[in-house]
Amino acid sequence: MTRLQIEKTKSSPKIDFDGQTHIHLIEGESYPENTQQFYDPILDWINSYLAEGYEGEIIFNIELIYFNSSSSKVLLDIFDMLDETKNEKITVNWIHDEDDEAMEEYGEEFEEDIEHIKFHIVAK
Amino acid sequence: MLSQSLYSYKSSLDRDGVIFTFCGPISHDIVEGVGVTLKSQLAGSQVKQTTAMKVFAVFIEQVQNVINYSQERNDFDSEMGMGIIVVGKNEEKYFIIGGNKIKTSKVTVLEENLTELVAMDKDELKAFYKKRRKSNTSEDSKGAGIGFIEMARKASEPLVFSFEKVDDEYSFFSIEADI
Repeated sequence: MTRLQIEKTKSSPKIDFDGQTHIHLIEGESYPENTQQFYDPILDWINSYLAEGYEGEIIFNIELIYFNSSSSKVLLDIFDMLDETKNEKITVNWIHDEDDEAMEEYGEEFEEDIEHIKFHIVAK
Repeated sequence: MLSQSLYSYKSSLDRDGVIFTFCGPISHDIVEGVGVTLKSQLAGSQVKQTTAMKVFAVFIEQVQNVINYSQERNDFDSEMGMGIIVVGKNEEKYFIIGGNKIKTSKVTVLEENLTELVAMDKDELKAFYKKRRKSNTSEDSKGAGIGFIEMARKASEPLVFSFEKVDDEYSFFSIEADI
């Protein structure tokens, strides 16, 4: 699986999805001009990656400072895709600044809808 | 001449506590540029970080609403919506106001949706937010269509909105969130 790397901008996060280490990162801020256009290749990558059916530990580190409402919907789509695999070896680490209660609450709201994969809320 | 009354115009904005206002074609570059400026402005003041992030978040939803939904488009670049954004502070409260033209035919539905929204408490807003986030994007909506719910959740008071008739086809829609 080719590595997917996208540099961060003021309004879009850094993406580093690595099919070798199976540790994946979304980091920064997310309020892109066109949410669908920005995230479509990312969702496609995840789809193909999950279809490969890797059997080891898979980690998604999500470290966002801010995301807008349309990005929130895409994040939910990503978590749904991961959860639908029912693969307990997938872990999402929702990483937030220890003082950022709002980001912690957003993490809790995503966690409520997750049934199969591991979802950890991590204060940093 | 406008140049001669500019000082009184500025003084009037100052009296109202306006920190920032923009009127005209709004592009994503403005969202990014002003967003960054607004964040550093808030970080430099005594305001709590959580409040600063709320103001920033509502600002982003407001400007992206104008870009995506204003029916008045820029003549040279249709990606830009025409509208007005005002960010200010009145005593202890920040206010973020957005306004733009919409089709009068859309007023009834929008008014109903917003009336429903302003009557909700925080728990109801959370449930509504999660429900709307799960449902498919409506045809009209470029984003998630949950921008208003997000604004209502960030605001410390119910959103205030109004519609004014411009002509037979269009109305001017404005919405304010206080934090």
